[in-house]
Amino acid sequence: MIRASILIGLLATAARAEDLTIPTFVEETDASGVLSSYDGDWEYMVGGGVAAFDCSGDGFPDLALAGGTSPASLWRNRSAQGGPLRFEKVESGIEMEAVTGAYPLDIDGDGQQDLMLLRQGESALMRGLGDCRFERANASWSFQAQSAWGSAFSATWEDGQDWPTLAVGSYIDPGEEFFPWGSCTDNVLYRPDGRRFATPAPLSPSFCALSMLFTDWDRSGTPSLRIANDREYFKGGQEQMWRLPPGGDPTLYTAEDGWKPLRIWGMGIASRDLDLDGYPEYALSSMADNKLQTLAQAPLDGSSAPRPDYVDVAFPKHAIAQRPYTGDDVRPSTAWHVEFADVNNDARPDLFIAKGNVDQMPDFAAEDPNNLLLLQADGTFREAGLEAGVASMGVSRGATLADLNLDGRPDLVVTNRRANAQVWRNTTPGAGHWLELRLRQDGGNRDAVGAWIEVRLPDGVHSREVTVGGGQAGGAMGWWHMGLGSAAEAEVRVLWPDGREGDWEALPADGFYVLSPDAPASRWSPG
Amino acid sequence: MRVVQGLAALAAGLMLSGAAQAGPSPEEVFDTNTRLALELVRHTPTASPPVASRAFAYLYVTAYETVAAGSDDLLSLAGQLNDLTPGPVREANLPYDDAVALEAALATVLRELFSNTGPTGQRALDHLSRHLAEGVAEGLAPDLVDRSRAQGEATARHILAWADGDGGSTIENMGFPMTYDPGKAPGTWVPTSRIVQQQAPLLPGWGTNRTFAMPDGAACPLPPPPAYSEDPASAFMAEAREVLDARRDMAPEQQAIARFWSDDPMLSSTPPGHWISIAQQVLDEQEADLETRVELMARLGVAMADAFIGCWHEKFRYNLIRPVTYIRAHLDPAFEPLLITPPFPEYPSGHSTQSAAAATVLEAAFGADHAFVDATHEDDGLPARQFPSFWAAAEEAALSRLYGGIHFRSAIEMGLEQGRCVGAHAIALRTRR
Repeated sequence: MIRASILIGLLATAARAEDLTIPTFVEETDASGVLSSYDGDWEYMVGGGVAAFDCSGDGFPDLALAGGTSPASLWRNRSAQGGPLRFEKVESGIEMEAVTGAYPLDIDGDGQQDLMLLRQGESALMRGLGDCRFERANASWSFQAQSAWGSAFSATWEDGQDWPTLAVGSYIDPGEEFFPWGSCTDNVLYRPDGRRFATPAPLSPSFCALSMLFTDWDRSGTPSLRIANDREYFKGGQEQMWRLPPGGDPTLYTAEDGWKPLRIWGMGIASRDLDLDGYPEYALSSMADNKLQTLAQAPLDGSSAPRPDYVDVAFPKHAIAQRPYTGDDVRPSTAWHVEFADVNNDARPDLFIAKGNVDQMPDFAAEDPNNLLLLQADGTFREAGLEAGVASMGVSRGATLADLNLDGRPDLVVTNRRANAQVWRNTTPGAGHWLELRLRQDGGNRDAVGAWIEVRLPDGVHSREVTVGGGQAGGAMGWWHMGLGSAAEAEVRVLWPDGREGDWEALPADGFYVLSPDAPASRWSPG
Repeated sequence: MRVVQGLAALAAGLMLSGAAQAGPSPEEVFDTNTRLALELVRHTPTASPPVASRAFAYLYVTAYETVAAGSDDLLSLAGQLNDLTPGPVREANLPYDDAVALEAALATVLRELFSNTGPTGQRALDHLSRHLAEGVAEGLAPDLVDRSRAQGEATARHILAWADGDGGSTIENMGFPMTYDPGKAPGTWVPTSRIVQQQAPLLPGWGTNRTFAMPDGAACPLPPPPAYSEDPASAFMAEAREVLDARRDMAPEQQAIARFWSDDPMLSSTPPGHWISIAQQVLDEQEADLETRVELMARLGVAMADAFIGCWHEKFRYNLIRPVTYIRAHLDPAFEPLLITPPFPEYPSGHSTQSAAAATVLEAAFGADHAFVDATHEDDGLPARQFPSFWAAAEEAALSRLYGGIHFRSAIEMGLEQGRCVGAHAIALRTRR
């Protein structure tokens, strides 16, 4: 599925040289009304995710936040377009304790977003009923939840299926009081059985997953499952990637395939094609040095399949984010949620990293500011967290960079351990143009999870994969944001999950569009 | 009557059916704390191999002194180990319980040595020490428990106060200097990784720490390595070529050896932990009594801690380039060592030095031809290996660094020599009356 335009894009990347726009964010936590803390002790040292998705039907992203020992909460977005961020807490049915993470997806294809709530104990699938109300659907969907420390999630629609395949990751066995190391419990895979889930199968061996992502890393059309594992607790483990042939058993990629052992405190995964070669790079958060992986050899002409052989380019690309960049604390950092978002709309995806000590680990920074790494024209990143106003010293975990007030600039919500979540409005002056796109198709996979959105700009084709998973215990569904830089319009197309290639269509910048197969884009406006 | 069990059986008995049996024996207390120490080393970010060796040394000297205080056979190491003064003595004509005293001593010293471990380690320390303390006190008179516990804690505090002045008690930035000038002379060490902290070498001052049994870090000096040269006919180039050839023509058995002895920090209990595990397995197989256990482990801990001090003294005296740097510059730009190159100078090999020191101690205890099976890494999926002797294991550990592409031959051969010298100081300690 790789296009010839890849090569053109790669060559053009080096020519981008516009000035860097430093973004500005205004913290609106108090005024926003969001009041949610990720609470708990050892059993909640990981997790704390936030989900951004529209459960009210007004197009504005609402928020679901994990609360740990406090109840999870649902916050309906009451912001006006372009205005201050305002949320209202609503009784939604998700107000249960022990929630560690939240991912939105439309499981049953009814047009209402459902929620996967990862939990310390039995995780829950919550069926969306509309108007931001949910009901537990474990029984009705035959979702046989494990009693485990729920810590990671991803979903895909396998070829020909109208019902999703779910991967649920788990962490340490919390019952191991004295020697928990090496007690990683099995991740499990839920595949469809008609319009419900079959008995789950273990993804063994499992190595204490903290992030999972179904991703079409080789552009074969069949996603594989990447898993970030925490080396603190596994024995004999490493980062993993499972191939998942439709109808076949999952098998791990091995050294014979080109997969290199990597043992880190794997905590989060984010993906985006940064170099415009058509293949996604992967940011992996960890303690101390973070990773930024790119294929060792990307077949630029698309004539051959790549091997899953990744090299770490975080050091030369200045994406290490190894220790605090402001304040007096010089100890190494602890990184959690990672997410790419073009916060200044310069057509270059930036990288946000939520930071925070695990819990009083004296060898790691206690005052650990979140990072906002701006991708520059030369392909390297530049730290801008302090200038942008998001250098929070909270003990952060999850985050989302959804456009909460639909002004075309990604805003920011960060969850904190034992403290209130924080909300920032992106007010960047002079930001570039943008598009926000939502995918709609018939069938079970209404949101076209697994599709690739391509935006053709003068420097090449910018592509992003529509995924469910990754980050730290939380994700987003809804508008997919693409910065355009100075382009007043851009050609856009979608490579749909079933292999159909949409036509290139020129779309005026600074608008919202709903894209469907075999139909022109439909412009959308709030209200 | 005491029953000495293997670690796995111990854990099973302690954790799963503890309520159905009498409190743990002193041997069980000792072995369970060893298991915990091995895990804490693996999961504490500052516990690089030198730091781990220091922790093991103080842990086992504490155990030894606690037991020796009530023993008719064991001699205190006070006056034998550098700057160690006599510790608290037991009150005459009053009974003490070894299990209670030992648990109190080991819990106290572990909590201090691993005060910087993460929340899971802290939780395990709390829960396990409470569990063991309750177990050993079961059925004993309260005054006996209080007296024994106080004795153990006092001994631990005495050892910790002694430890505090050795130069190795404070580890900042995980042992890496914030700034470092590696120098520009040809053949000197330069950073080999892209990890930010590792742009400076690990613990450059470790060789000046106070030693335990040998006089100081310079007590076992080594001759210089082959002179640095880029001449294709030089001895230095020949050693580099040997590393490259080994990587290119590596047999599966050689790869297995390299991985078995890799013992990476944060992914294993490190090289000194590996030898503690070997000793533990042999002691279990021998069904050794408590005094034999603390005696051997104290000697072993001292030997390995001194080995790292002596080795680091020489490493920073010679400050030699690593194979990966030299080979990529002069032989093969694409060279990829099998193992991760440690972030400090090459000569001599630390694993070689400390393995030889450990083998010297174990040979003295069990004989030069004691065959054994090492199952240290079975949990990590690496099968057990059999060895005809401790020295054979040390030689294999040393050679593994050449197979791994991280050391030249001179570093491993001279490391073994240095370790034998260091070990001799440890076996010269008088432990029996």
